[in-house]
Amino acid sequence: MKFTPSRICQLIFLALFLVLFIQTEYRGRDEINAAVNAFFRVNPLVLFSYLFAAKSWTWLLLPAVLMVAATLLLGRFFCGWICPLGTILDLVTPRIGKSAPIKAFKGNIKYWLLLPLLSASLFNLNLSGLLDPIAILLRGLTFLFYPLMGLGAREGWVGVYRLIGERRDVVAPAYNLIRENLLPFRDTIYPLAFLSAAVLLGIIALERFETRNWCRNLCPLGTLLGWLGRFSPFNRVPKGLCGDCGQCRELCPTSFDGDLLLKEECVLCMECQQGCPHGRITFTPSLKLKLGGPLLPERRLLLGGMATGLLLAIPARFRHPEQESRLLRPPGVRSEDEFLKKCVRCGECMKVCLKNALYPAAYQAGIEGIYTPLVIPRLGYCEYDCTLCGQVCPTGAIPALPVAAKRREVIGKAVFDKNHCLPFARKIDCIVCEEHCPIAEKAIRSRAVTVIGLDGVSRVVKEPYIVEEICNGCGICENVCPLETRSGIEVFAVKNRTPIPEQQVVSDVHSHGGYP
Amino acid sequence: MDRRTFLKASGAATLLAPSLIREALAAKELPLVAVAEGSDYPAITRRAINAVGGMKRFVKPGDVVVVKPNMGWDRSTELAANTHPQVVRAVVEECLAAGARKVKVFDNTCNDARRCYVNSGIENALKGMKNVECKQLEPERFRKITLNGQFLKEWELYDEALSANVYINVPVAKHHELSKLTLGLKNVMGIMGGKRGYVHRNLDTALADVNAHVKTHLTVIDATRILTKHGPQGGNIADVKVLNKVIASTDTVAADAFATTLFGLKPADIPVTVAAYKRGLGEMNLDKIRVVKA
Repeated sequence: MKFTPSRICQLIFLALFLVLFIQTEYRGRDEINAAVNAFFRVNPLVLFSYLFAAKSWTWLLLPAVLMVAATLLLGRFFCGWICPLGTILDLVTPRIGKSAPIKAFKGNIKYWLLLPLLSASLFNLNLSGLLDPIAILLRGLTFLFYPLMGLGAREGWVGVYRLIGERRDVVAPAYNLIRENLLPFRDTIYPLAFLSAAVLLGIIALERFETRNWCRNLCPLGTLLGWLGRFSPFNRVPKGLCGDCGQCRELCPTSFDGDLLLKEECVLCMECQQGCPHGRITFTPSLKLKLGGPLLPERRLLLGGMATGLLLAIPARFRHPEQESRLLRPPGVRSEDEFLKKCVRCGECMKVCLKNALYPAAYQAGIEGIYTPLVIPRLGYCEYDCTLCGQVCPTGAIPALPVAAKRREVIGKAVFDKNHCLPFARKIDCIVCEEHCPIAEKAIRSRAVTVIGLDGVSRVVKEPYIVEEICNGCGICENVCPLETRSGIEVFAVKNRTPIPEQQVVSDVHSHGGYP
Repeated sequence: MDRRTFLKASGAATLLAPSLIREALAAKELPLVAVAEGSDYPAITRRAINAVGGMKRFVKPGDVVVVKPNMGWDRSTELAANTHPQVVRAVVEECLAAGARKVKVFDNTCNDARRCYVNSGIENALKGMKNVECKQLEPERFRKITLNGQFLKEWELYDEALSANVYINVPVAKHHELSKLTLGLKNVMGIMGGKRGYVHRNLDTALADVNAHVKTHLTVIDATRILTKHGPQGGNIADVKVLNKVIASTDTVAADAFATTLFGLKPADIPVTVAAYKRGLGEMNLDKIRVVKA
């Protein structure tokens, strides 16, 4: 491997990506200053699909605007200098033997991916995250590879304990150092783990056919950047292969299918300049804007892309009403529609979630909602004082809120199932849910009721009840319910997610209410 | 007295003697509960411990000691949901001064363990102390223990708590909706694994079952501030009452019984205390407990 400037830059950004990925976790502080969301906030595909779908502006995406400007000026440098997925492809591709390029990829398929995605955004279906390369990489890591690494390390560590018991303590400091700085805190198994990894590995497998296959022929972000890059005043001189040499074709990872350099595929890696035996190649600016061809390769692409987007947007919206009642969104998400327009489906909130309450929707939210985060309280609950998901969300689909505000945001409302809940169903004490309810005034309370037990004996049990006005739906009640079957209390989604009032006085008629 | 009467009398005496002697001894040595009051929490903690014989009575040089605070909730110190970090630190320092080889501080938390350790203030208070471990629980260290109790036949308990030479229970005094109060006896839940909520269906008996198995050498109850309402996690400073007290005893039941009075309740009001007393785990009658001001 030659350490050209672009390669060094790529490695730095890949390292940065991985460091930020690992930093996207609670490590003893309530704030995460730098998270992997940076890679989405500079992402023009995220920017345009957000603008089209949400039809509003967020300052969070200002870096992406700067990236658009930089691309207009310099060309498609992101792919050759920054993109971590591109870097991974560059690192593995020398080890993968090539057969011939796939013919079907050589049409305008990349535009047929990009344009419908953007047009669907206009019709309120924002699916660009599904094909965004950074999101694909992040989801593969988050949902499969990182948990796998954590699980492997933990199993090994437990294995050592089984072998040598307490004596393991001698090496504990070393393990703790790794655990605290590198490993996930909890071993989580995510739905869609295989799909996420398969997509990522599939992209790598495409290197079997040609170098940077995904980047050249499919990647919607690359296509968008390439299209923007065509307006760049910098042009490679000479434009094509020289009659006496032709080395460039060997050196170039992307854009020399024919004899002419395809500007929209040139990732500015400068390999040709570095490797030219004659020192002929320069990238020089010219003030005359020469597009070298029409705006889009085919006119029907624009119309066809728009139509496809519309066709996608409507049926993808189908949802099963029964599942809708359990569509619990992260705290601060008040409108389902708005959330779907803004969510990138990058998986960061699910990675950072302190109690692993968030999981990617597989089928629950319809096609439209695939990979969007869902709270599954039985697996994890929303920690009352934690605000991390809002902090790492790249587009503010989950708003970043101060703790005091976040506590009042409504995820759903808890409801008892008296057929399961012990004090009702079996006439015995429990109220574990009440104990864990984090609302200071208690959204779950209890009243002492004299009942005839199932054994026929009269006794006093504490029957829990919910004060709906102050329940924020955090789900800890459902999480800790000691029933092994279905929980005796469940959180259901509600349309009206107005935050619970700051100071709620709900008359306390039943609880004995403590001591003076 | 004829022979017959003599035999009867001596037989009865032989039968009664052990219990008579036990009673006589017990009368001599009423369980001691020390109560220290003051705003210097480390100082009152030390005074309370010294009044029950000093840490050297429990910790011998080279011992491994477990100090088990209540730090189950993601709540800040002043909200009285967790043991005060200064009380914990003072107990730990006393252990080290008595020659402990290692002091381990842990709890099986209800909220996220990382947040509880940080926000209770306890992890930070112990940071940098030599031979002190404030480590989150590792699931592989739970062992299924045969309790043969009245409610719990077996349960997972934390190995490090059982294998230590000395176990010191350092709860905070709080309101609890189900058990009315949570004090020393209930703090044992922090070394229990599994789905602990299960024991709520027969809490008093279950806690007696576990406490009967776990040998507690010393109980130090933090009543520097108590949570009088919305326990065990509270969250509203208005529910907190500052008492500036620390209680110490070798008898957890007696310590709990006295702490109950701080809430204006009687020991008999607390079913957990009553169940433990009936099980013979300690004394709950205040007139049979010697309370000393330390």
